[in-house]
Amino acid sequence: MDERTFERLAEEYAGRLYAVAYRMLGNRADAEDAVQRALLKCFAARATYSPRWAVSTWLYRAVANVCIDELRRRKVRGHEESLDTVSAVRASRGGVGGIASTPTASIARLDLTRALARVPREARMLMALHYVNGLGYRELAAIRGISVNTVKSQLARGKAILKQALQAGGHDGSD
Amino acid sequence: MDRTDDVLREYFAVPAPAGLDARLRAALREEPRALEALIDRFHVEASERGVARLAYGRGRDVTAGRGRRHAEQARQELAEYLAGRRTFFTVPVDLAGVGEFQGRVLAAANRIPFGQVTSYSDLARRIGRPRAARAVGNALGANPVPVIVPCHRVIRGDGSWGHYAFGAALKTRLLELERTTPLLVGCASTRIVCRRGCAHEQRIGENGRVVFASVADAAGVGYRPCKVCRPRDAAA
Repeated sequence: MDERTFERLAEEYAGRLYAVAYRMLGNRADAEDAVQRALLKCFAARATYSPRWAVSTWLYRAVANVCIDELRRRKVRGHEESLDTVSAVRASRGGVGGIASTPTASIARLDLTRALARVPREARMLMALHYVNGLGYRELAAIRGISVNTVKSQLARGKAILKQALQAGGHDGSD
Repeated sequence: MDRTDDVLREYFAVPAPAGLDARLRAALREEPRALEALIDRFHVEASERGVARLAYGRGRDVTAGRGRRHAEQARQELAEYLAGRRTFFTVPVDLAGVGEFQGRVLAAANRIPFGQVTSYSDLARRIGRPRAARAVGNALGANPVPVIVPCHRVIRGDGSWGHYAFGAALKTRLLELERTTPLLVGCASTRIVCRRGCAHEQRIGENGRVVFASVADAAGVGYRPCKVCRPRDAAA
């Protein structure tokens, strides 16, 4: 794969990679940094890219790897939840990174952000890839190196936890 | 399909910020900063017990007796570390030349996990001498085996770097390197998760690497921890 082809690819996918990273990391700076690092990694390894793989699988795996590693660091620092909430509040106020919308919609989004923070990392990653890009189970399995059945059970579990958290209302003072 | 799917699809539709493409293109054109080249700027002194000194500047490795094996191993591991392919050192360290207090400080510094930082005063508390932050700083400043014993992971309480034997710029680059190097890597074909730098991890093909945030996360999706590098102990 030559440089020009890669640049075109990067341009084509940048927006979607950013959306995944933004919903995983919760703020614009970290999301942009993650996309940049993932693309640089792919760029450096473009010689080893095997056409057996879909290009999208290759790029999404790289961005998922960077995001997951970033979340590991946050867990160590111990403020994953608060960061998510802070950026959600910011997003709901100024519409940063979100779609400009009515106050009710932004409150709903804040609830959703809080609820998603309760979904375990692996399931959240699969949900982000699934809902941003509409990726199917097989591609999700290839991206995270897991079985299709694991993808299904993780997504189902993630959704169940999310629904439960949304029903609890998120205003129980536990945040 | 239910209503939750629609809500989530809408939620995950995040518009990209203006100018993202241009910034990414500029980043791709930038020359990668090769930290690997630094390996030629170090020389290693090793005894039969392990690496005794790592010094900056050109010079030949100094070894006594069977120390050559340790020096070679140190060089190899350092090169991998600087290339972002290793997150821990297995080469033995010979600290026979340091005093009791400094030995304790260095042992405590050695327990700071890859990619994390702590402060001088926190390290002083960890060795049971909460008022000795300054002495801890001096002990680290005289660290005979920098990088291998990670004194660069200790910074000042106010967040500034403080003194570093190899210069503040190198300290920044080492911490930057650790910030962008993943710690736990799984192999998609064997479903085993390793610490980066483990001999098994180094054999994983470029297209089979999956990063995890914890061993528990990996276990949750069907990966087992490697029995050689024991990632559970490292990530604790």
